[in-house]
Amino acid sequence: MPEHVLVVVTSPGASGLRDADREALGTATAHAAQRALPLACAVIGHNVEAAATEVAESGAAVVLVADSETLSAFASDLYVPVAAAAIRSTEARVVIVPRGPDVLEFVPRLAAHLNGACISGVTELRLEDGDVTAVASAFGGAALALYRFKAPGPRVLALAPAVAPALERVAGSTTERRELAVPDIAPRVQVVEPAGVVTGPRLEDAKIVISGGRGLGAKENYDLVRRLADALGGMPGASRAIVDEGWAEPAQQVGLTGKILAPDVYFAVGISGASQHLVGCANSRCIVAVNTDPQASIFKFAQYGIVDDCLEVLPALIELIESN
Amino acid sequence: MRIVVCVKRVLDPEAVNGYALWGRLAVDESGLAFEAVGDLPSIINAYDEQALEAALRLRDAGVDCQISVVAVGSDENADILRRCVAMGADEAILVQDQNRGVDGFRTARVLSGLIESIGDVDLVLCGRQGSDYDQGCVPGALAEMIGASLVTMAAGIALDGDAIRVTRAVPNGQESVRAALPAVVSVSNELGLPRYPTNRGVMQARRMPAQQRSADEFLGQGDEDAVELVQLMLPDAQGHCEIVEGADAREKAERLLARLREDGVLHA
Repeated sequence: MPEHVLVVVTSPGASGLRDADREALGTATAHAAQRALPLACAVIGHNVEAAATEVAESGAAVVLVADSETLSAFASDLYVPVAAAAIRSTEARVVIVPRGPDVLEFVPRLAAHLNGACISGVTELRLEDGDVTAVASAFGGAALALYRFKAPGPRVLALAPAVAPALERVAGSTTERRELAVPDIAPRVQVVEPAGVVTGPRLEDAKIVISGGRGLGAKENYDLVRRLADALGGMPGASRAIVDEGWAEPAQQVGLTGKILAPDVYFAVGISGASQHLVGCANSRCIVAVNTDPQASIFKFAQYGIVDDCLEVLPALIELIESN
Repeated sequence: MRIVVCVKRVLDPEAVNGYALWGRLAVDESGLAFEAVGDLPSIINAYDEQALEAALRLRDAGVDCQISVVAVGSDENADILRRCVAMGADEAILVQDQNRGVDGFRTARVLSGLIESIGDVDLVLCGRQGSDYDQGCVPGALAEMIGASLVTMAAGIALDGDAIRVTRAVPNGQESVRAALPAVVSVSNELGLPRYPTNRGVMQARRMPAQQRSADEFLGQGDEDAVELVQLMLPDAQGHCEIVEGADAREKAERLLARLREDGVLHA
């Protein structure tokens, strides 16, 4: 039984794989090719057939499936033993986990469970002396760190956004399928009040985003951001600084500890461009910056900029667009 | 309720970011630290301070708590431990570990040994991640090592019978979970601002130096670090920005929209 490079997809939902999962498969495929190892992928959740099918069509030699109602919501008490079984079944030494909100809970427990190690926010996998090494962001994005592993157990790598291009599907490829047993235990952590179901558009899906920061000066001025977003048919976002101040909702926060976006156009208004924020918008096709400070870091990452007071530029933009 | 709060000292990420913005951030000859590291201020990891605040709010809510704050590392941590006592922690423990690198698993092993030696710990609180290496692996590794339940991204914690009720920050807002004790809970900035130390607290902290332990008590002979930092690097510089000029804000706005439409960025 040869060693496989293993991807673990968690809670994909009935509509199938997400972009993050496809990026993980792309990264794993490249690493597996470098090492001449086969690719395996575990899919853990409920109603995961669509995801499992797409995995099979993405070139995985083995797809391992755990599909149960008890796995509908992520719970580390259940997902860790299932993933550990997938790792043992595929003799995986390198385990790649897609970015997602459950990574913080899942990946370190999984690594510790198997006396391995983990790195999160991985932007690049390398090879040194036959072992994987990982580059990950550090200091909120201001630096990058290259790590090597010394633990005896598996290396679990949680990826950063937009690490590798998604794979092409090859319909009808043959893949071995293994069923994974689901532990019959009650998780020690139970959801008693789930978060509201998001009705309406998600910030992560918006093609046009207008984000405001401290340069707005006061809570009332965030209204200008909302109005410009409406005028352009986009959605409003915010820097962590103004969310902490209560000028915008946590759901609107863009950045390292908020949402990671990849819109067609991202307006950064009154935002200096601190690396923690940049992480959230760096994948935009085009960044437009408005800031009074010509030295603001955001201008190093933007394609277009206006050096002026956002409290004058925003109303002008709104009026010009609305009058069209 | 016996609570242990794990804290860490980090380079102030705002200062690191400021140096990066001014183009003054550079990596030194060792490749493992910033050149300016002597000039960069260090602070208590902000998420860890919020973890302590979560413990203090439990006490404010009437839960009878004994709150111990722990740091693993060198004497450098004395200042952050004093701050924690001044905020309201009952005691501080410094576990001396001179060989600490970046490995969170090593820290977790030392903490798990200390927590087992304390004995009746109900709740372990940590910040969600260190603002230096942004890894966030201590809470999960620690929970696994001591066999505790794990909750991450806490914005609020309350006692709920013989369990805890935790409000978590999740992508769609907040969810509420019930977790069995003993539990490890990692706290995020959604908890809100931590309290300032009081003058009385500061004076009490001066009279109460940290208890000293050693990582050697908890690390086995063959215990090696799980990960090692090979190299610290700076990201590549970015590209070209077209600054749109004009006589006033309105003219600049007009020209910007024209440029965005010309280049097909906006279609309206």
